[in-house]
Amino acid sequence: MAKTSDLNRVTAVVLRFTRGPILVMIAVYAIGIMGMALMPGMDADGNPQSMSLFHAFYFFTYTATTTGFGEIPYSFSDEQRLWTILCLYMGVIAWLYAIGSIIKLVQNPYFLNAVAERQFVRSVRHIWTPFYVVCGFGDTGSLLTRGFSDHDMMAVVIDGDAERIKALALRDYRVKMPGLRADASVPNHLIGAGIQHPMCRGVVALSADEELNLKIAVMTRFLNPSAQVICRSTSPRHQKQLNALQGVTVINPFELFAAQVRLTVSAPEVHTLSEWFVGAHDARLDTPPSMRKGRWILCGYGRMGSCIQRQLATQDIETVVIDPEIKDAPDSSQTVYAHADAETLAELDIKNAAGLVVGTDSDTKNLGILLTAQQFNTDAFLIVRQNQHENELAFSAANVDLIMQESLVTARNILLRLIAPAMQDVIDHLEASDPRVTAHLVRKLKQGFGEQAPHLLSITIGKDTPAIEQVAELGLDVCIADLIRKPCDLNSPYVCIPLALTRGGNTTVLPEHAETVLPGDVLLFCATEGDAKRVISTLKNPQRLSFLITGYEEPTGYFFKWLTQRLPSAAKLARRYED
Amino acid sequence: MNLERVVFGLFIVLALALNVVFIIGDIENPAHHSVWVLTTSIFVSLIATGLKLGDRTQVGAILLATSLVADMLLITSRVIWIVVADESGIPSPNDMVSIISWTGGALVANLISVTVLVSDALMSRH
Repeated sequence: MAKTSDLNRVTAVVLRFTRGPILVMIAVYAIGIMGMALMPGMDADGNPQSMSLFHAFYFFTYTATTTGFGEIPYSFSDEQRLWTILCLYMGVIAWLYAIGSIIKLVQNPYFLNAVAERQFVRSVRHIWTPFYVVCGFGDTGSLLTRGFSDHDMMAVVIDGDAERIKALALRDYRVKMPGLRADASVPNHLIGAGIQHPMCRGVVALSADEELNLKIAVMTRFLNPSAQVICRSTSPRHQKQLNALQGVTVINPFELFAAQVRLTVSAPEVHTLSEWFVGAHDARLDTPPSMRKGRWILCGYGRMGSCIQRQLATQDIETVVIDPEIKDAPDSSQTVYAHADAETLAELDIKNAAGLVVGTDSDTKNLGILLTAQQFNTDAFLIVRQNQHENELAFSAANVDLIMQESLVTARNILLRLIAPAMQDVIDHLEASDPRVTAHLVRKLKQGFGEQAPHLLSITIGKDTPAIEQVAELGLDVCIADLIRKPCDLNSPYVCIPLALTRGGNTTVLPEHAETVLPGDVLLFCATEGDAKRVISTLKNPQRLSFLITGYEEPTGYFFKWLTQRLPSAAKLARRYED
Repeated sequence: MNLERVVFGLFIVLALALNVVFIIGDIENPAHHSVWVLTTSIFVSLIATGLKLGDRTQVGAILLATSLVADMLLITSRVIWIVVADESGIPSPNDMVSIISWTGGALVANLISVTVLVSDALMSRH
């Protein structure tokens, strides 16, 4: 992996910077030592005696480094002292030059970059847990990385902006997230970030640059066809190209946001539930505030506004659009060419509107419209779009029914796609079915979880669940109810609610507890953190699982296995004891 | 309740108890230590080991290991007894100390077995 660049580059830069000083040092040492050995001297008795080469080297070493042990082994002659003066100045100057070059080297930006890249590649190579590569560490990228950290998943981050990578290093993630400042469209950097690593699960391209995202997607398809690719794109031209690539999921933040608005308006209870599932910190399992039926006012009709209008139109919700510049006006909506000021809002009878969606791409404008709308004392449902993550405090101070942040909606959607792919099916199913289904589920969840946070658990039957395989060898069928049974009370389950069962591409939402699981099935559970761990340990412990299915413990040692086979009455006795 | 657990628990606790019975007394005085108790505790410990053969669980592996250690140490001390005993079958006080220290090692192994057994029973919650 990455045989070409980093290692050679570090060595090359070091060599280039130290070549001069090393040559100078060798020359100075050679001249000094040889000269010293040639100078005539005398021993203590006055016999002529020159310094040996080894002594000359010893002398030069402590002289050039200004240590100065004195005239060893005998007092010097005048010739030797003369040469010593020369040695001292030459040696000190050579050392100063060498130290100066080393300092220059460690401050050299190319060297620092090469070292950083090398460390990054090395730490990526040593990853042993599944991880994702996140390209682009903007608002969405940082929220997504936070989400990975909350689920104890690793991510490797690449961003072209050095400031963003510095910001990454300062975050308090629960897992280590290596980051590199580099152009992600260069294949070498992608490989360095580990897209060919056996543990790499996928690549998420979140940069604001459409071309860059497209490049990343294409490169990844070539470099690692088995990796999942999720790519942000808002331009129809790029979306078309991306859709042509197999295995690439295109995420359009505008569409996601609009779909979320539609869900809030058409099925508020499902929206609240989905917020609770993803672990939004202010989400409660309560019934959402009621909404009036009627007309919705949309402020802002750009790319986002038009998506929202289209989504609401699919639910037959009447809309009025306000925007000073509307390019292609929608057929199914009334349009007002004006700024959303007090006069316009009064004209549109905001007091009797069902709700107001403030969705322009400027936070200042959105807050302004909000203030104007609140002057009317309307009880219309207020939804506001927050563009910049850093404006969070200003928005939470405004008294609105729902703040929606595009980057947050996108990050959550991507995270769910990656850690619990069936979740979207669950939400879609609940939105399409009777509100009573959701109400029933919410009641059940509330009873089980209380104030505890949910933990989504996606389990693939097979490799990760050795217990099921081993129990199947004994001829036992495993159903969902068995997996979540409590060993201390076989009739009651853990707080681990099966939400979906995906088999052969089809997803069953809220599967029956009696459903038998087969190899290859993907089960989605929602559990409390402690019970999730307990269920996972059941899946790894065949003794426990077979006990949960049959209600008695199979003998483990040879002697009792033999005994229960030979004497059925002993087996009966053993089983009767269990009841 | 599980029959296998009952039987194994019985033997392992009995091994520990007999071990204690053998050791208690003045360490140098052969009159305080019965060779019959030592021999019985070897048999009991061997049976406990036999019951754990074929157990592939984690806890089973540890119990097998600790009871094997107990077997080895007990047998060693019994062999020493045979070697050092005079015609009347009684070791000298010095040799008695050595025999008791070997059985002391077996006592530690048996204590670990019982601790593991009890904590496993408490952890399994059923």
